[in-house]
Amino acid sequence: MKSREQEYKEIFIAEALEYFDALNRHISALEKQPQNDQPLAEIFRLLHNLKANAKAIGYLQISDVSHKLETAFSLIRSKELSFSEEVVTVLFDGIDLLGELIRNIDNPEYGEPDPVLLRNLDIIVDNLSDSAIELTKVQKYNTSKNLTLSDLIYIQIKKLDHMLNLVGELIIDRDRINSISRELNHDELKSVSSHLYRITEDLQYSVMDARLVSVGTLFNKFPRIARDVASAEKKEINLELVGQDIQIDRNILQIITDSLVHLVRNSVSHGIEKPDEREKKGKSRIGSIVLAARSDRDNVIITLSDDGKGIDMKQVKRAAVSRQLITEDAAKTLQDSDVLSFLFEPGFSLAKEVTEYSGRGVGLDVVKNAIDSIGGRISIDSAKNKGTVFTLQLPTSIAVKGALLFEVDEIFYAIPLMHTDQVVAMDKDELHEVGDILVTDIKGETITVVYLHELLNADEAEMRLGDKTKLKGQVQNIIVVTYNNRKLGLIVDKLYRQQDIVVKPLSKPLDNLDLYGGVTLLGTGKVCLVLDVSAITRYFINNRR
Amino acid sequence: MKKKSDKSNGGVSEEVVEQREAEQQANGKDSDAAKPYQPEAMVHLIVFKLGEESYGIRIEQVKEVTVTPSVTRMPRTPKFIKGVANIRGDIIAVMDLEQRFGIRPAAMVTTPPGTLTKDISYTLVIEAKDYSIGVVVKEVPQSLNLSVSKIDKAPSFLQDTTISENYIEGIAKVDSRLIIVLDMFKILSAEEIKALPK
Repeated sequence: MKSREQEYKEIFIAEALEYFDALNRHISALEKQPQNDQPLAEIFRLLHNLKANAKAIGYLQISDVSHKLETAFSLIRSKELSFSEEVVTVLFDGIDLLGELIRNIDNPEYGEPDPVLLRNLDIIVDNLSDSAIELTKVQKYNTSKNLTLSDLIYIQIKKLDHMLNLVGELIIDRDRINSISRELNHDELKSVSSHLYRITEDLQYSVMDARLVSVGTLFNKFPRIARDVASAEKKEINLELVGQDIQIDRNILQIITDSLVHLVRNSVSHGIEKPDEREKKGKSRIGSIVLAARSDRDNVIITLSDDGKGIDMKQVKRAAVSRQLITEDAAKTLQDSDVLSFLFEPGFSLAKEVTEYSGRGVGLDVVKNAIDSIGGRISIDSAKNKGTVFTLQLPTSIAVKGALLFEVDEIFYAIPLMHTDQVVAMDKDELHEVGDILVTDIKGETITVVYLHELLNADEAEMRLGDKTKLKGQVQNIIVVTYNNRKLGLIVDKLYRQQDIVVKPLSKPLDNLDLYGGVTLLGTGKVCLVLDVSAITRYFINNRR
Repeated sequence: MKKKSDKSNGGVSEEVVEQREAEQQANGKDSDAAKPYQPEAMVHLIVFKLGEESYGIRIEQVKEVTVTPSVTRMPRTPKFIKGVANIRGDIIAVMDLEQRFGIRPAAMVTTPPGTLTKDISYTLVIEAKDYSIGVVVKEVPQSLNLSVSKIDKAPSFLQDTTISENYIEGIAKVDSRLIIVLDMFKILSAEEIKALPK
């Protein structure tokens, strides 16, 4: 795999060559119509970009020549330099020199640019009116220019989406062939299918890799956004970006863009206090916000932390009670993590007044839905006067997900690993009927459990979620899932393996069933239903009485 | 007719085709008497049984007929959704029209003990605009060619009923049989789809 610098360099060269071609086109147009401002403006823009890009990556010769040319053209624009024949020749030579420099970035033997040419450029820039100094004729040694096409291509994300879908289908068929070859126990077929396995795996990673972009492309937009909110609300902030180089699927980044904008604005608007208030609390006047990305196995973790006032748990509880999400008594004993999860309820807002940037009823539920839709997770942690941390756990790629396979009432199901917390086997005696639900103690934590068979298959009117007699057998397999800071144990009939699956969306007319995130085909050709953890949790809450 | 339904060797049997030809000839004879040599507009139907009655769907609406593959039940979906099935890598919903229309299933034929394979049913894969859906039928569907004139528009009585039954395109009479011709596209219309999930 190429290093990041190498990749940046290639992108620079490709862009620079494109600029070079465009420069040639525009200067030719300008030569024919010296009065036309448009090509002049374009040349200006191109040279300016080229100068900036070259400087940023450290190609000083290129930025230097671009700068000289830019100056020359600015003089032409201000009519201080006439677009005469000699000048035109020098400019053409200058642009040719740029092209040469760009093409020879990787060539250590290239040496220095032609000093005569550089001097000519200096002459037309510095000695405007003094025509006494002769422009030296530049020896053109490079008359037969070799034409090159760019090494980089732009591609529509749509095309990559299509490729990824096809790879998904291919993987399903590959797994099928693999399992058939094992069944048939045919040696040649087995060796072909294991080769096929490796190739498709390579292909899958190549396509996934082609879709990766660095989170920096999004992160770099935030300093401005944060600054605007801060200045509108008369706050002082410092936004620090960490891990801009972390790579993530372009579509995932696209989907979380609005959410992240929302969260950053929230941090400035609700999190960070006014400077005076901060001083009173003994904090620095400047609020600090850190937007960081890091890789964690197959996931990308994005955290947004601020050192602001934190979330007022009491206020959240009051709001939850007044919205009848919970009774007053129950609210008293609630754990902080449960309290914070109310923030993701639809329409839940603590903002008392609507400002330009927050409190417009677009709540965290919208953020949560976006993260849910790509199979990610979001959680909040907050301490009073210390600050708030939002953690987004995102898949690197959309197509393939690690999942846990299991069986309930002879139907295969899968739950994405992203949402599973742990898997435990427990004796039936360790489950307790508490009111209308079952609870158990898992490593010192009291967790609500539910028999999936009862939840999915019992008649809704006769559903008895707190009835232990419904369970089969003595030992129960429990998959603990986390959703919205809440844990729920799902009792399944049979637990299978962990496996990478390709989730296919359900087609019409089943496409808007919440309970299922999609389906996948197992190696045996059997259909496996992919459960949507958020919908299952909601369904459970709605059906407990 | 009975003879045909006993044949269960998948899809549209050759005999059905022969029968269709025979019918065409018969039709030809009929019209020969009235006006000589005037080819009539024909409809090609796939005919199957729901409950005790015969139903037909225009062949253009049927993508394929296949032995019903294993169907994975989907909990918490309406009863008439039997589940999803993998048909050549496409995962499609499979519908039970008897459930959908509240048609009383045919009286169970008491099978002698030991014959477990009586379970075979067929699935018509219907192709709507942007998706496919499977419809389960119990006996081998037959192919039938008949002239358009044999299809009566559905009686207004049927069309007026509260349960929007305008998906009945008409009633065809062939020999002594009565075939209810369905317009599947109307069954799969947008409102129908919206009514599905709960």
